[in-house]
Amino acid sequence: MRSQRILTIDWLGALLAFLLLAAIPLVFRSTYMLGVMTVALCYGMWAASWDFMSGLTGRENFGHSLFIGAGAYTAGFLNVNFGADPWWSLLAAPLVAVLFSLLMGFPTLRLRGPYFALAMLSASAVMQNLTIIFSAYTGGQDGLNGLFPMLDSVPAYYYLTLGFLAASAVLLRLLANSSWGVILRAIRGDEATCQAAGINVTFYKIASLMISAAVAGLGGALYAHYQLQVGPDLFAVILSINIIIMVYVGGIGSIYGPIGGAILLNALTESLRGLSEYRLWVYTVVLMIILFFLPQGLIAPLWRRVRSLFA
Amino acid sequence: MSELLQVQGLNKWFGGLHAVKDVSFALQPGSITGVLGPNGAGKTTMFNLLTGFIAVDSGSVLFDGHSLTGLVPHRIVNCGLARTFQLARPFAGMSVVENVEVACLAPRVRKAGKPRERARALLDQVGLGRQAELDADVLPYGDLRRLEIARALATNPKLLLLDEPFAGLGGSEIGPLAELIRTLHESEGLSILIIEHKLREFMQLVHHVIAMDFGEVVAVGTPSEIVRHPRVIEAYLGTAQIDLELARHEGAGRA
Amino acid sequence: MQIVIYGAVISSIYALLAVGFTLIFGVARILNLAHGSFYALGAYGVYTLTANARLPLWLAALVSVLLVGCLGVAIERVLVRPLRRSMLAVLLITLAVALMVEQVLLLTFGSEARNVPSMVDATYQLFGVDISGQRLLAFAGAVVVLAGLWGFLQFTRLGSAILAVSQDAEAAQYMGIPSDRMYSIVMGVSAAMAAVAGVLVAPFQSVIPSMGLLPLVKAFAIVVVGGLGSIAGSIVGALLLGFSETIIAFEVSIEWSQIVSVAAVLITLIVRPAGFFGKRAAF
Repeated sequence: MRSQRILTIDWLGALLAFLLLAAIPLVFRSTYMLGVMTVALCYGMWAASWDFMSGLTGRENFGHSLFIGAGAYTAGFLNVNFGADPWWSLLAAPLVAVLFSLLMGFPTLRLRGPYFALAMLSASAVMQNLTIIFSAYTGGQDGLNGLFPMLDSVPAYYYLTLGFLAASAVLLRLLANSSWGVILRAIRGDEATCQAAGINVTFYKIASLMISAAVAGLGGALYAHYQLQVGPDLFAVILSINIIIMVYVGGIGSIYGPIGGAILLNALTESLRGLSEYRLWVYTVVLMIILFFLPQGLIAPLWRRVRSLFA
Repeated sequence: MSELLQVQGLNKWFGGLHAVKDVSFALQPGSITGVLGPNGAGKTTMFNLLTGFIAVDSGSVLFDGHSLTGLVPHRIVNCGLARTFQLARPFAGMSVVENVEVACLAPRVRKAGKPRERARALLDQVGLGRQAELDADVLPYGDLRRLEIARALATNPKLLLLDEPFAGLGGSEIGPLAELIRTLHESEGLSILIIEHKLREFMQLVHHVIAMDFGEVVAVGTPSEIVRHPRVIEAYLGTAQIDLELARHEGAGRA
Repeated sequence: MQIVIYGAVISSIYALLAVGFTLIFGVARILNLAHGSFYALGAYGVYTLTANARLPLWLAALVSVLLVGCLGVAIERVLVRPLRRSMLAVLLITLAVALMVEQVLLLTFGSEARNVPSMVDATYQLFGVDISGQRLLAFAGAVVVLAGLWGFLQFTRLGSAILAVSQDAEAAQYMGIPSDRMYSIVMGVSAAMAAVAGVLVAPFQSVIPSMGLLPLVKAFAIVVVGGLGSIAGSIVGALLLGFSETIIAFEVSIEWSQIVSVAAVLITLIVRPAGFFGKRAAF
């Protein structure tokens, strides 16, 4: 456990980052830019939630989009099919996502590493296919259109998303720093030894998957109400993989690093917006750089370097 | 005095191999017992059966009044039966004290005190106090064994199962470790069950021995009785070896 | 009857893809996510060589397959070998290759489907079912290649060496078989097989930059169900998947047929992770 001083610096750094992000609407007036940032913040929630479960336990989940799509489509169903108030999505989406995590978690978490990854991946692919098949309810390939946001102005929606991101990040980080985090990292170390230490490993794996799903689903709902539409792409494998790349860029296991990675990669791909064919290149090149040169990521090691100047 | 551990008719098959055959024995509270037997005798399999890492095919295990058959490992630990592993596998990427802290978070002992502080105290107890902040991966073999023991102790067990604690250790490391085990037994009143190969350490440490061969219990008794037992000699020791051990044993005045 | 014939054609192509995929895994422990790229490159290769280089169709097909095979060898030597220590790194690098190939194809050829002329123009009637000559050729071609592979592995020295490496790379090394070189060769063979599949189907499948994705998913699914590293498992799996998809496509809907592969993976992993014919559990 870190010393008190390091903890204080960490939280101060987090506060600073939050203030910087909060200042963005005041500095950049363009609604387009704010929109991009709002999406980036959603990715931040998805990346942080992935890191909390897979980053800490080492059980890599290649089907995170399952929870994102679940949350987004819940928002879509409630808002479009049932005409419910958008605020309800923020409550229902995490719950539905948690349900999915329970459904998939029990049979798959007992599988060894790569099998778990693959099982979650195919689960999200199955959902993607199902949303296309049952097009009468889901709108098929075109998805559901006509969602409306709970707040009308773009800056207000940005602050709403930022608020939820900050709350989730704080919660996840607090858990990671607590005895919960110690246990999750022990699971990463050796599951059998963990059992021998009297820890109910299955409970912690499933519980952390549920928490991860809840945050991801919430992000999915916020994203859906911003984009005003949902489609089967939200269950796509490539989405899960992009998020994992963001986590690796940020620094796996740190919770805050992946958020930085998400914002960085979104900003990067946006700056290449004109050259739309090159978006995929960005992720590919970044992936290769990380693999060969920066396995620890970029952002978390950078922050630790900065922090050591003050500690 | 009721028994701490009562094992009756324990059986385990791996395909066609009858790995553990009708094993029955009992342990008294406060005892320190050894399990002796050649490689493949079924000792570690029996440990795995007792601690829930492998499912029992038939038989019963009664510990402190609870039936353990069918329970998952972490529940058994929380009943008060802790074990170490033959191949010590510390939690990679975590410090020594964090390794023990995990066990302090087990439901059985969670309220017993601040996990961090308990962990440090346990490390002091096994002699690893100075290595607390080190990465567990850098510990030498002998220290890893102590870490295993500290972690097992953290769950406040009534019975401690040690799986070949001396394997792979050099002469200078064996003595101190044996001393630690003896101290734990005598000062804490901890009941201990040890699997070990090295005959000398056995003799000096345990009061009773359960000898196994081919999955069966072939003899039970004190150390000096066991080394004279014909089945044990036949299975485990050559005659020359046994003379040597007897001589050393009698020389130490412990017969 | 239609189902039998179309099912057979699809299964044979799937088998070609799946066996190549399982081969490189069984021998070199490489989960090659670029396998679909080799398939796509085979198709685009034939297109370029006939349209731009004006080569005769048969020659273009052959050259394309050879070139893709060499590319496979090159990728193994240059990109995969340095990362061999970590399976995850190898997986991610093949993913990177797959992404890059798709991007290059998109930039070079654009997203419009390209037309590759059929090798056999005629339509035939088989048991009262109309089937294009190209599809029949695809079936025949796949069967021939698979038979050739089997013969190669069973009867040639190189083939036996490859089998030895797949059983125990270290032991094979002690017997003087250069494992490293074997990995490159097998990668080349695997890539060439995928390219053959691409060449055979190019005339009747849409030749677009992303054409490699679905075949990769199918090959992966077949191999998981059949058991990673098991050639027999891949062939059985290919038949199962090919016929299930065809039956469902005809009787229910196309969309439902697409879910079979991923659902099969999920169910297999939950019920029997090693696959139904797997000799040893993967990873």
